[in-house]
Amino acid sequence: MFARLLGESFARNPRRKVLTAAALVIGMAVATATLTIALEVGDRLAREFRSLGANLLVTPESDTLPVEIGGVDYRPVDEGAYLNEADLGKLKTIFWRHNILGFTPFLDVPAYVSETGGATTLIGTWYKHEVPVPDGTKFETGASATHPWWKVQGRWFQDGADECVVGAGLAEKYPAAFAIGKTIHLTQNQVSGDGRPLVVTGIISTGDAEDNAVLLPLPVAQEISGHPGKFRQLFVSALTKPADALAERGERAQTDKNIQLTPTEYDRWFCSPYISSIGFQIRTVLPGTDVHAIRRVAETEGRILTRVGTLLWIVTLAALGAAALAIAATSATTVLERRAEIGVMKALGASNALVGGIFLAEQVLLAIAGGAIGFFVGAGLARFLGESVFGTPAAPRPILFPVVLALAAVIAMIGSLVPLRRAAHFRPAVILRGE
Amino acid sequence: MATLVQVENLRKEFGNVRALDGVSFRVDAGEWIAIMGPSGSGKTTLINILGGLDTPTAGQAVVDGTDVARLDEAGLTRFRAEKIGFIFQQFHLVPYLTAVENVMLAQYFHSTTDEKEAQQSLERVGLGDRIEHLPSQLSGGEQQRVAVARALINHPKLILADEPTGNLDEANEEIVLSLLRELHNEGHTILMVTHAPSIGRLADRRIEFAHGHLVQAAVASLKPELA
Ligand SMILES: Nc1ncnc2c1ncn2[C@@H]1O[C@H](COP(=O)(O)OP(=O)(O)OP(=O)(O)O)[C@@H](O)[C@H]1O
Ligand SMILES: [Mg+2]
Repeated sequence: MFARLLGESFARNPRRKVLTAAALVIGMAVATATLTIALEVGDRLAREFRSLGANLLVTPESDTLPVEIGGVDYRPVDEGAYLNEADLGKLKTIFWRHNILGFTPFLDVPAYVSETGGATTLIGTWYKHEVPVPDGTKFETGASATHPWWKVQGRWFQDGADECVVGAGLAEKYPAAFAIGKTIHLTQNQVSGDGRPLVVTGIISTGDAEDNAVLLPLPVAQEISGHPGKFRQLFVSALTKPADALAERGERAQTDKNIQLTPTEYDRWFCSPYISSIGFQIRTVLPGTDVHAIRRVAETEGRILTRVGTLLWIVTLAALGAAALAIAATSATTVLERRAEIGVMKALGASNALVGGIFLAEQVLLAIAGGAIGFFVGAGLARFLGESVFGTPAAPRPILFPVVLALAAVIAMIGSLVPLRRAAHFRPAVILRGE
Repeated sequence: MATLVQVENLRKEFGNVRALDGVSFRVDAGEWIAIMGPSGSGKTTLINILGGLDTPTAGQAVVDGTDVARLDEAGLTRFRAEKIGFIFQQFHLVPYLTAVENVMLAQYFHSTTDEKEAQQSLERVGLGDRIEHLPSQLSGGEQQRVAVARALINHPKLILADEPTGNLDEANEEIVLSLLRELHNEGHTILMVTHAPSIGRLADRRIEFAHGHLVQAAVASLKPELA
């Protein structure tokens, strides 16, 4: 009988049902889209912080500060100390070697570009480079591992080839000289004639100083600067444990003689992948260096993404609230319209729970239908939104399907609560009088 | 005969309207009572209270040992389902359910549905060939007969009929009244509101209302035709 009542009730007033379902579809589509994006944001944050890009910067001890004016390094080439490229394989021998996810040497060389006649900075680096490790294996690493957020339009240079990628800032300033496929000539000083020819293979945007530099394979930069086998900075991407009291004590103990770790403390510190302990281990294999923890751009990016996430949650709540209101409105009309029938049922001994149950079951059925459609619409919306927020479509999340259905049901029930309470207060005697 | 209904000093006020103003009477099990009186005298109000559709302002209304004045919402619901069979002037069938489903609805609210029994009850009121019809496909008289079948299906202690023939033509009125007479002969207790003296005379006894008072609660007056 319940099924019969429900079925009949369901079949009636299809236009209002469609309206209710539409409110649910829209609400659930927005909820699905925003939840998908919010999950995507969360995932991206996690991934970004996991692969965090570089979080350690290794420089020669007492290196001179770069004299940078307008993104151009005016330090004399010979000033400052250099590090040996050949030592880099040792990074994969330290205690926490498996936590070293990648590293990239940088060699910055002040230079002139013949085509523009302007001074610029060359950055010699690796994109994907195989580093021989002392144990005989090879470790492939480079900017692809340490700077995953760098975006190249066109393609990266090949390791060791006479190619380069040009910072987006430079390319914008000199679109004619730095177009993909063009050859540029680099010289160490303004006067010398021909210079080293390099083919531009891509335009890079990093959101940082590299946007105003020319990136080229490390060996080429070493050759131009006359420092074969050398580099100046090393970005290391390491999986680290967030700092705690022990991490700080361990770090201070290295500079402050007054702080002494007990042997067990030291062991615990050394055997925890803190930035300070990994830094300490790096210094043992690369003597004469300073290791600094760096906070990447990701942090600002992360903050923005977090805010986007918060915003999305608010939008989700608003969409759900709007859907609930729409349902409240339609179900209030329904209850009012069917009060005669409700009155008769109550007169025949139907309990409030039963009458309410019929209406609720109907709303929940609608909610499930609306929620299911809304999920697919929302998944499509998320693809589109993801495209505009991240540049890549957000993948649909099947796990959201039951969540969205449950949400829809809850919303439908919340929306029906007030009208149903009204129905419970209907006095059959009054209704049956026909007033 | 055992007393089935006992009303003591029953009062019902709607704001400052006194629909019932100190009404007392008794009904024995198996009696057929006609409740009569001018419009607005409180007849429907009394029926509603006895049927648990409304609660009195003061006084007692005991039906089959239960004082409906003391029942809460849930108690009233059970009371309606178990003890009362309603027949309304406007039939009040559920429009989208067939005749048999309308009868089964009462079964459902009472306990469980039994389609066979529901069909038998429709056959009994002469609607064996209208079982699958919707109310809109039935005449007024047929609808009221479905309502009678529905009122009987749970074997109620008390049948309350508020102007059951008020919306019917003479032929259908006759059919419904003969059904009531049959029920009476089977021993059912019936309280029937009517305006028509000719119908009132069919009952064992008439209770006359005026302005919420009892005008005449005839002491077990015999049916006129037997007098
Ligand atoms: N829900 C209500 N709210 C306010 N007043 C009411 C209500 N129900 C009944 N009344 C009033 O109570 C009085 C008695 O009404 P009731 O319906 O019992 O009369 P009745 O005898 O059944 O009349 P009729 O023969 O016209 O059906 C009337 O004055 C009516 O206006
Ligand atoms: Mg009346």
